[in-house]
Amino acid sequence: MTIKPWRLPATLAVAAVLCGALPALAQTPIKIGASLSLTGTYAKLGSYQKEGYELCAEDLNKKGGLLGRKVEFAVYDDQSTPATGVRLYEKLITEDKVDAVMGPYSSPITEAVANVTEKYKKVMVSPLAATTSIFKKGRKYIFMVISPAEVYLEGLIDTAAKRGLKTVAIINEDTLFTKSAAIGTAELARKQGMQVVFQEAYPKGHTDFSALLTKIKAVNPDVIAAATYFDDAVAITRQMKELNVNPKMLGVTVGGDLPEFYDLLKQNAEYIYGATQWEGALPYPGQREFLEGYKRKFNREPVYHSASGYAGCLIYAEGVKRAGTLDADKVREQLLKLEIKTAFGEYKVDQDGFQTAHKMVILQWQDGKKVTVWPDELASGKARFPTPAWNQR
Amino acid sequence: MRRLGLAALAALAVVALALYPLEGTGYGVRVMLQLFMWIALAQSWNLISGLTGYVSFGHVAFYGMGAYSTAIVIVRLGWPWLPAALLGGAMAMVLALVIGWPCLRLKGPYFAIAMLGLNEVLRVAASYFEGLTGGGLGLSLPTLHASVPIYYAMGLTAAGVTLLTYVILTSRFGLRLMTIREDEVAAEAMGIDTHRYKLYAFLLSAVAPGIVGGLSARDQGYIEPISVFPLLMTITMIVMVLFGGKGTIWGPVLGAVLLFTFQELVWARFIYLHQLLFGAIIVTVVLLMPRGILGVLQQKYNLPRTI
Repeated sequence: MTIKPWRLPATLAVAAVLCGALPALAQTPIKIGASLSLTGTYAKLGSYQKEGYELCAEDLNKKGGLLGRKVEFAVYDDQSTPATGVRLYEKLITEDKVDAVMGPYSSPITEAVANVTEKYKKVMVSPLAATTSIFKKGRKYIFMVISPAEVYLEGLIDTAAKRGLKTVAIINEDTLFTKSAAIGTAELARKQGMQVVFQEAYPKGHTDFSALLTKIKAVNPDVIAAATYFDDAVAITRQMKELNVNPKMLGVTVGGDLPEFYDLLKQNAEYIYGATQWEGALPYPGQREFLEGYKRKFNREPVYHSASGYAGCLIYAEGVKRAGTLDADKVREQLLKLEIKTAFGEYKVDQDGFQTAHKMVILQWQDGKKVTVWPDELASGKARFPTPAWNQR
Repeated sequence: MRRLGLAALAALAVVALALYPLEGTGYGVRVMLQLFMWIALAQSWNLISGLTGYVSFGHVAFYGMGAYSTAIVIVRLGWPWLPAALLGGAMAMVLALVIGWPCLRLKGPYFAIAMLGLNEVLRVAASYFEGLTGGGLGLSLPTLHASVPIYYAMGLTAAGVTLLTYVILTSRFGLRLMTIREDEVAAEAMGIDTHRYKLYAFLLSAVAPGIVGGLSARDQGYIEPISVFPLLMTITMIVMVLFGGKGTIWGPVLGAVLLFTFQELVWARFIYLHQLLFGAIIVTVVLLMPRGILGVLQQKYNLPRTI
């Protein structure tokens, strides 16, 4: 028999593929699918989450994988749009036939894709969806990891009430997360016996806050609570200085926790309170391992999006381990009763998969450093109070 | 004979598309559903901008209007989704009447800017009227798994606008519109009530975006101001039409199919390259073939106007 010249390499190639595939066939990896925002509005935050997932897979594999199988992530880019996210989860589940899925970035996208994962009865741990309503629609297979938006500023209000402050002004960017945060803050303040003397929203991308701040100055509140992202938090602080609006406490939701906040504002960031889901300095189990692993792999300090992604994946893995199977209903059962502390803090959910144990922390900028000031059991320092005049910081 | 062959081919395509949900995966159905959506949107933009030359830079406003109208009656009044989506189409038409009446008197870039403004105004309005729209919190629709029926509704809408374009292009009405595009002053001199006909075309071009906006809202289950009034969506519509061939019947369909397929295949693998390529396509089309693929073919092979 003569072998045609093209057949030999072809046969060899097939043989090589088969040889390579055989050991893997015995142990096909567990494929976990997710769509994340790698381009578009949420590009940066979505990539941080992806890093968390990747590091988690690496750590799991180092310890022998999950159920004796390797763990692998299949991640697509949803361009920060819910419509694309929906399509991608359909693809992951019905075409790629992944063994499990993890949540996307942001509340709006999670809200949309949860319909798909519920339809196919896939457990979805969603490490970066902070909106309560997503989990209160009777969905069965979705699990929350971070604290809900409503309690972001709980620590600020709590501290203020304990200091005997009476009035609070609340402002927020008008989108899902920040708005929920503002509503929650107002409720907490009322519960603590404080008076909400001013409440107003501004559109996304707003840059001139002078009108808003002038109105606030007129009512002269003890506390200003701002539900912000990053840019608005910086702009509000700057314009408060220009207009000399000086409450006894100023707290922001997102932005105040980032190092860039201090870089841009310098001494004007002093005394300002920020809220965060997580800090590298918090004494949680596995924290050191996470920080070191992250720095080695990505060469910089992690932010909470990475930590939450990492922890969410570990929580799912723990559920699978306890169930001893990937079967959605059995894993769900385990995740519902699981109580665990990861590098991200505590995890425990109610019957809807809604997070009840994870704690927000409030930090304050003191001499260029973030100091955790609330809750007491996690605090690394005392809050500096009250805030002095702008020219004395 | 050639006509018969074409008709047979078209019939075959329709049957294949009608049977697809029986065979296709959930992903396949979603992809086709969104492809239909883009065809309907591109075709609608073509109706006003391709035929009369009035470039609408805010066509997504009608999409958003439809999405909100539909979502509101579903959430607040418990309507079933089909009549709700049809209402979305009607509301978009009402909006087109209110806006088109004054704005279609504007010419050239002024009309384009007015439409761009309309989109921004609607987005802010959707944030502002919280009681009705949920404001920045958005509207969350009750969970419903109806991808397959929505697939058919979306497909019918896309087919409907395409048929409408054919009817218009082969009618006196279409001729009047194209006269306006070529020379509005001459059209007026010939006794065409240009304002009236532009308004008709504008109204017709608003219906389908309203309906598909409603259908998409129902399918996604959650809408917020930012996600239903994105400028990028208008731009995509425009690029699809320019790419396929503006002012033709099949140009928008061709443009939508090619660009959407390209997007679907490429973006997952080369996420940054994909944006670059999209930009490159815009520049290439505008520079090298401003009449689009069909426009070029039309000229070269002397194809009929009604292609």
